[in-house]
Amino acid sequence: MCSRVSDPHDLNLRRPRHRVERHAIALWAGRALSAVLPVVLVLAAGYAFWDASRPWTGPLLSVACVLGLLYVAVMPPWRYRVHRWEVTDQAVYASAGWFVTEWRIAPHSRIQTVDTVRGPLDQLLGLASLVVTTASSSGAVTIRGLNPKTAVQTAEELNKVTQNTPGDAT
Amino acid sequence: MTDQSTHPQGDDDAVEVSTQPPTDQPEVPWLRLDRRMIFVDALRVVLTQAPALIALLVVGVSASSVWPLIIFGAWGVLRSGANVVRWVRTRYRVTDTYVELRTGLFVRQYRSVRRTRIRSADADARLLQRLARLRRVTIGAGQMNTASEAAIRLDAISLSAALDLRRELLGTQAGDTTVASAPATEARASEARASDSSPVRSQELARLHWWWVFYNMFSFWAYVMAAGLLWGGQWIGAMFGLDLWAWAGDLADWEALGLLGSIAVGLALTGVLGVIGMAFTFFTEHAHFRLERVPSADGTVLRTTQGLFRTREVTRDDRRLRGVALSEPLLWRPMRMTDTAVITTGLSMWSAAVTILPRGPRATARRVADAVLDEPSSPLAAPLRPHPPAALRRRMVWAATASAAVTGLLAWLGATTSLPHDAWWITALVMLPLLLSLALVGYRALGHTRVGRHLVVRSGVVSRTTSALRRDAVSGVRVRQSVFQRRLGLATVSVSTAAGFGVYEAPDLAARDAAGFALEALPDYVRPFLTHSTDETAPAAGAAVPAVTAVPR
Repeated sequence: MCSRVSDPHDLNLRRPRHRVERHAIALWAGRALSAVLPVVLVLAAGYAFWDASRPWTGPLLSVACVLGLLYVAVMPPWRYRVHRWEVTDQAVYASAGWFVTEWRIAPHSRIQTVDTVRGPLDQLLGLASLVVTTASSSGAVTIRGLNPKTAVQTAEELNKVTQNTPGDAT
Repeated sequence: MTDQSTHPQGDDDAVEVSTQPPTDQPEVPWLRLDRRMIFVDALRVVLTQAPALIALLVVGVSASSVWPLIIFGAWGVLRSGANVVRWVRTRYRVTDTYVELRTGLFVRQYRSVRRTRIRSADADARLLQRLARLRRVTIGAGQMNTASEAAIRLDAISLSAALDLRRELLGTQAGDTTVASAPATEARASEARASDSSPVRSQELARLHWWWVFYNMFSFWAYVMAAGLLWGGQWIGAMFGLDLWAWAGDLADWEALGLLGSIAVGLALTGVLGVIGMAFTFFTEHAHFRLERVPSADGTVLRTTQGLFRTREVTRDDRRLRGVALSEPLLWRPMRMTDTAVITTGLSMWSAAVTILPRGPRATARRVADAVLDEPSSPLAAPLRPHPPAALRRRMVWAATASAAVTGLLAWLGATTSLPHDAWWITALVMLPLLLSLALVGYRALGHTRVGRHLVVRSGVVSRTTSALRRDAVSGVRVRQSVFQRRLGLATVSVSTAAGFGVYEAPDLAARDAAGFALEALPDYVRPFLTHSTDETAPAAGAAVPAVTAVPR
């Protein structure tokens, strides 16, 4: 982000300290492709094999191709710029998203479970996700694209801290 | 870290089902359900068969058109027989540590609940049971609302036995060891009665006013109810040889009125019928309504009792209470119609148990909410900080874009397919003002503030909901900002909590206030992440912006 004089539109929140791994860009690009390709393929198949549908599959196919390309090209680096995380001795703080940026703060005293998750694409690329849930169903903090060792280490630290913090987390 | 009581699975641990009794206490006798239950049920069977008998004998209709009534009658007889079997098979008893239920003739099955896990013992009754002074006792353990499966259900025992049982179970809920050492039932009962006369009395918070019916009668459901009544009437009439449709056709000269006139008259008449039906339902459901705060063994509970034929009693633990939410539907805003619900853990927000008042005037809702929250300065009466005009611009832009998109689509369809060509501008004429006014209404509903221990947020177009949530119930904070919001200088702050809906949102705050509001939600945890140090002690009512002192970091 280019530095500029803080204008009144700025949020007062500072960015979390750590970035995620750089090759998480490949992870997001892979997921974007897996969303865009089926749509494009179905439309292309319709265009190729079903002549009567050409009036609407034609324009839809070109729109889908352009939008899909833009999505795969623009979204991953944007996400890499936005996704950050930080674990202090009081709370977990993470920012995520691309078009819509979300900053989430979860205090250690409200944490209920800490999990490390590795999907198939994560395992291919050597990444992991850290999922921290609280008592609320919508209060979970998910940090994707971490180094697996870092994720496991952070999970262990969080487990230790939350076990020592009193309270029943509701 | 993971506490059992936060997960809604208390039921599985509280109720034990086995083929052996949990404790072997031969001196505590097994009690039967009340014998009058059989007679009450037999009477109900006779009453359900009455229409069939009348139809057959008096009116003289042939048997083929009353077959549904015959089926109902047969079903009633079967149910009554099953009840007799149930009475023979079922026994219950209350020991020092358990409430036990024994069912089965040849293979015995024991169902038991630990007395320390019992959270509620409700006694309700249908009309015939009330006349016979019987009550059905539903004992609940763990986190349950009244609609889910109860731990133990005794259907039915006599009124005095039910009241004694309730007093015994709820009075000594704290697991008092001095009481447990006394084995005799009489000593336990007298101990319970003594602990009931505690210095804290029951406090009545609200009582039914008959004119609340006007707030409940007028609703879309009136038409649904009228349709149901008419269809049912037509069907029953057909069984007796009457044709409601033909009779209605003879009532008036429909051709003279024309199509629109007949539809208007028809809608008006069904509307009247529906409104009367809704009023009737309101009175049968909410008769004798009372909301009170009642002391229990470890604190107080909010208890509602209501019902004409069948009393429903619901208790909500005050220790689980985290806030109150008032919602006002859009169309009835001039009438100030308000629904009152509590924000609590342990109850699904969609269940009926969270509503503590029938739909009524806002003044009553406010008063009751203040009494429930019991704060020195009322959170729901505090003036809310308005959101910036940029939020209105954002909503207007969305409204205009949506109408433009729909209009464009209709224009394209009108040009390429067989849709009428004029559809697009008629739709635009209707849709654009409507969506723009909805955007304005939505903007004016926005507001947020902090009052003492509570955070208050308000939003919503179709139903404007003001939620007051305790600050110590907040388990996380989320600040969202889309690219459009960033350009307009807005952000949305949501607080997540274990109670109620799980997340409460203050949409479209000014960006520079967002961090301040997040700080008010989680004071100690958000402060390390701010760029400027913000003065957290914003005045409770009528505050504009918390003071920001820029500290170079």
